[in-house]
Amino acid sequence: MTEILYREAIQQALREEMLRDDTVFLIGEDLRDPWGGTYKATAGLSPDFEDKRVLNTPIAEDTIIGAALGAALSGTRPVAELMYIDFVMRAMDAVVNQVAKVRYMSGGQSDVPLVIRTQGGGGRSSAAQHGNSLEAWLCHVPGLLIAMPSTPADAKGLLKTAIRLNDPVIFIEHKLLYATKGEVPDDEYTIPFGVADIKREGTDVTIVAASRALLFSLEAAEELAREGISAEVIDPRTLVPLDEETIFESVDKTNRLVVVAEGAERCGWTAEIAARVQEARFYSLDAPIQRVAALNVPLPFQPDMERYVLPSVKDIVAAAKRTLDA
Amino acid sequence: MASETDRKDLLEMFRSMVRIRLFEQAAYDMYMDGELPGFMHISIGQEATSVGACSALGEGDYLTSTHRGHGDTIARGLSIESAMAELMGKADGACKAKGGSMHVADFGLGILGANGIVGAGMPIAIGSALSSNYLDRKTVTLCFFGDGAMTTGPTHEAMNMATLWNLPVVFVRQNNLYAESTPVREYQGIPDILKWAESYGMPATRVDGNDVQAVHDTVLTAVERARSGGGPSFVESETYRWFGHNIGDPGKGRPPEEVTAWKARDPLVICRSVLLDDGADEASLSAIESEEQEKLAKAIELGRAAALPKLEDALTDVYGDQTLAAAALGEVRR
Repeated sequence: MTEILYREAIQQALREEMLRDDTVFLIGEDLRDPWGGTYKATAGLSPDFEDKRVLNTPIAEDTIIGAALGAALSGTRPVAELMYIDFVMRAMDAVVNQVAKVRYMSGGQSDVPLVIRTQGGGGRSSAAQHGNSLEAWLCHVPGLLIAMPSTPADAKGLLKTAIRLNDPVIFIEHKLLYATKGEVPDDEYTIPFGVADIKREGTDVTIVAASRALLFSLEAAEELAREGISAEVIDPRTLVPLDEETIFESVDKTNRLVVVAEGAERCGWTAEIAARVQEARFYSLDAPIQRVAALNVPLPFQPDMERYVLPSVKDIVAAAKRTLDA
Repeated sequence: MASETDRKDLLEMFRSMVRIRLFEQAAYDMYMDGELPGFMHISIGQEATSVGACSALGEGDYLTSTHRGHGDTIARGLSIESAMAELMGKADGACKAKGGSMHVADFGLGILGANGIVGAGMPIAIGSALSSNYLDRKTVTLCFFGDGAMTTGPTHEAMNMATLWNLPVVFVRQNNLYAESTPVREYQGIPDILKWAESYGMPATRVDGNDVQAVHDTVLTAVERARSGGGPSFVESETYRWFGHNIGDPGKGRPPEEVTAWKARDPLVICRSVLLDDGADEASLSAIESEEQEKLAKAIELGRAAALPKLEDALTDVYGDQTLAAAALGEVRR
C-alpha cells in the first residue's frame, strides 16, 4: 500500500487506463498542462501522451458532452470533464436527453462507453454557482450510473471500472477531497459498482453517506464513540446502482438510521434512502429515520453562513442521538 | 447528362425519393386512421434533400438526423419494414418500439439517430467526426438539421469546434422556411445564413433543395473535402415541407400561394422530367413506382402481422451491463 492524494488517485486511474486502451481519451476544459485541470486532476497527463489523448475544448458544456457521446457511439471511449457539477446545467440536454437515453431509444443498438468526470460540493466559499451537490438530480435519470467516491483507493478503483464499463457513468469527485490522503494498493485493482463499503463497524446506529459527507460521518462516529455510542458508517460508493442490501443488513442490526448528504434536503438523496429503508425494513426500525442535509437555500458565500447551511459533524452526532432518544 | 451523376445513380435516387414519398404518405394516412400512436413529423416535399445528401455518403460514414427523420434515415438505407414496424410500435421495429418516429436509428448503417431535441444532433455529429480523425478512419459524418436549429447554442458551439479541430463533418441545413410555425425572417438575426457559416471558417453553399442532382453534387463536394482532410462544410438546402410542422398542424400560417408554388416544384416531378429528358422511358419510371408501392404494402402487412413488444421489455436496454442493470432498476413491483 502507498499513501497518495485523492487527486493523485484520479491521475493514476486515468493514466493506467489510457496506457491500457488507446481508444481512451480525455476531453474537457483546461485539461492540458501546465494548467492540468482546474483541480489538477489531469495534471501530468498531456506531456506523456499524444496530443489527441488529452483534448482541451472551448467553453461549451452541452457540446463537450454531446461530442463525447458522438465519439463514444463511434469507436472511442471518451472521459469527459465538467469542471464543476454546477455546469452540468449547461449540458443537461446532452446528459439527460442524449447520453442517458440513446441506448434505450435505439432499442439497445449501441454501447455508450462514456465517463463524465466532475466535482461538486461546498465548504470552500464557492457560493451558489460553484458549490452545489447535484447528485440527486442525476440519480433521478434512468440510464446513468453514478459513482461518488470518498477515499483515494475508492476513487482510483471506481474510476478504472467506470472507464471499462460500456454504460455512461457520472463520476462525482469533491473539491475538498482532492488534497486528502489515503492508502492505495500497489498492484492493479478495480472496484465494482454497486458494492458498498462499511467504513466503520458499529452496533447502535447506522450512518449512510458518500463523498465528503462520509468523512464527516466518520468524525461523528468517533465523537459518538467517546460517549459510548457505536455507529456503523456505510459508504455506498456508487449511488446508482445502490447496494441497498448492505444498508438493510446494517439497519437490521442497529435498528436506527441516519442518512447524510451535502445536497439540499428537499427531494434529496437522503429522502430516497429513507424511503427505501422504510419500505423494506419498517419493522426493523426502532426510531424515525433522520436526514442530515443542507438547508433548503442556495449556498451562501460567507464562510460561517456556508457552514451553517451545510451539514456538519455536529449535526450528524445530534441526529444519531435523536434516533437513540426515541 | 451535364451532371456528375450518371443516369443509373439518378434512377436510384428517384427510387429512393419515391420510397420516402410513399412511406410518408402511408404514415400520414395510417396516423389519421388512428393506427399509429404518438405524433410525427412528415417530410414530404423534402425528399431531394434527404436523398441527394445521403447518396453522397459511402460505407462506414455516419449520419445524424432530426425529429423529421423518416426520409433522411430511409435515404441512408433504413429498411422500410423496420421503420414502419417502429412507427406501429411493434417488437421488431428499428428500435424495438422504444424510440418511435423521432428516434429511428440504425447504428449498423451509421445512423446515429433521428433526434427529438432541435439542435442536439450537431454535437453528436462532431463527436463521430472526432472519432474518425482519432482512429484515422477517413469516415465522414453528415449532419442534417432543420432551419430552426440554426439559432440554438449547440449549433454554434459545434460549428466552432468542427473548424477548430478540422473535423470531417458536413452540416446540411434543411431550410424549409419555418421553425415550427415561425418563418425564418422572424427568428434569424441576419438574412443571409451563409455569412454565419462562413464566419466559422468553413465553405458555405446554397443549393436548390428540391433538385436531387444539385444537392448530391454539392454535398458530394463537401464530403470529398471532408474525407481528404479538408475539414467541415456547410450546405444550405432550400426546400419545403408540404404538410404542417407535425400531423395535426394544418400549416395554416403559411400563405396558400407559397404552398402551391412549392408543390409545383415537386422534387419527384423535377427528377422525373430530368430522367425523361435524358432518355429514360416512362414505363421504367412507372415500374419503379409500382415496385416501391408493392414493397411498402408488404412492409405494412408485415408490420400489422408483427407482435407487440412484451410489457416487461420496457425494462431492457436501459443499461448494457446486466448485473448493474438489475441492481439499478431495483425491484419491479408490478
